[in-house]
Amino acid sequence: MLSRTAGRRACRSFSSLKQVRLNHNQPQNAQDNARTTHFGFQTVPEETKESLVRNVFDSVASSYDLMNDAMSLGVHRLWKDEYIALLKPGAKGPVKCIDVAGGTGDIALRILDSARERYADRETSVDVVDINTEMLKEGYKRFKKTMYHNTSQIAFHEGNAQALNEEKFPSNTYDLYTIAFGIRNCTSVPDVLKEAYRVLKPGGTFACLEFSRVNNPLFGALYDQYSFSVIPLIGTILTGDRASYQYLVESIRKFPPQPEFAKMIADAGFTTGGMFEGKGGAWRDLWGGIASIHTGVKV
Amino acid sequence: MYSRRAQLLKCAFPIVKTHGFTREALARSALSLPEPHPEPLSEAAVSALFGDGDHARRTLINAWLDDARLQMRSAPSPVIKDVLSTRLRCNEPVLGYLPEACNAYALLVSPTSGLPPVDPRPVLHHAAHVADEACHVVGDTSIAWYARRASVAAIYTAAELHQLTSPKTAYEFLESLLHSSQRVESAIHDVGTYSNYIGRSWAGLIKSSGIF
Repeated sequence: MLSRTAGRRACRSFSSLKQVRLNHNQPQNAQDNARTTHFGFQTVPEETKESLVRNVFDSVASSYDLMNDAMSLGVHRLWKDEYIALLKPGAKGPVKCIDVAGGTGDIALRILDSARERYADRETSVDVVDINTEMLKEGYKRFKKTMYHNTSQIAFHEGNAQALNEEKFPSNTYDLYTIAFGIRNCTSVPDVLKEAYRVLKPGGTFACLEFSRVNNPLFGALYDQYSFSVIPLIGTILTGDRASYQYLVESIRKFPPQPEFAKMIADAGFTTGGMFEGKGGAWRDLWGGIASIHTGVKV
Repeated sequence: MYSRRAQLLKCAFPIVKTHGFTREALARSALSLPEPHPEPLSEAAVSALFGDGDHARRTLINAWLDDARLQMRSAPSPVIKDVLSTRLRCNEPVLGYLPEACNAYALLVSPTSGLPPVDPRPVLHHAAHVADEACHVVGDTSIAWYARRASVAAIYTAAELHQLTSPKTAYEFLESLLHSSQRVESAIHDVGTYSNYIGRSWAGLIKSSGIF
């Protein structure tokens, strides 16, 4: 019920959007020179995106994990496991991690579990940062069910990935920066990368798990059908909130393709693998490019 | 920022002498940078830059082979013996790790190539690249392009195998192989000339006999 109310709220904010919606093919007047960004397939003023995204996640927070399972048929769990298996937190002793846009805490929990179970490491710690308090509340609740609750291994902070508070998140602090399915919702991806570079120690690793571009055209067509027809429908059935899930699908299509995003990571100052997909490359595709893991190191 | 990766690989080469072609050597490369890191790279960083698991080792081996091949250009004189000797000399500091590296490299590529049990292609590739570089350095423009490179590749492979078991005598072995190959080459040439001569004689005899 709560999610339905939240869903209606998000829908309301979407309808008000129509007033500021711009057509991509339309030439802009000199008056419309205000900086714009994409919000799904809509073009909106930069300053409004943050609140729009906040509305979306406010409305989906309580059912976020359930919906992820429903939309990806559980595959997001495999991707997240692979993501953590690649990073091997705790393999060479405790690491200090920051998980940005990680409100519901599933990446943080995987990091801590992996370090404990595989390397008997109980000193690795994760700072979870999210702009959205509803998502953080979900994460906090989840962690209360675990052994990590009330320990120094986990902390939840409200914060903007594009402008992390320098006092709370000093420069050269973290060994590992993770951001899973979050970066595409930020207004300025280069600003997020800049902040990631700042807070990481020299030798620290940036790792981003994000939806990406499918390379095979046939598989791509099937995936498009599924995304635009099935996912919003599931959103409607399970949470009564079509608009938010429509946004999630659209935002995936607006995110830059793998080589372009890899270049953005390199431009932010990170050293990457070779500019190719695969082992030793700057990114690894998962399931033909539905999602991909991008990595970079602050050398 | 891709060049920083190449720089790290270059810093890892001297560490191979003590740590072999390992992820540890790659992790420690950060300690030898112009602005050295206080501690070696983490597992995540090594995987991010060079590939996870044994693929990082493969990246290191490939980079080392490329570098050793480039060093052939600094041979004291552009003759095949000196150029191949220069390449063999590159092996010396890491000789103890080479058999294991070759093994690991072949095993690493084997499962993906589907050629059981061990794929011989990486070794053939390595020999062919060395031979090609050697011919390039000496300015070989002979018509028998493939034959020349095949014989140089065979000689180098034999000399490298010899070096693994008897490093001190490898250079003499290389010289003797080159000498033998020259003898074989000149023998083949002589056989060709002789056959040509016999053929012409027979042709003259047949013509003069008035058969045709």
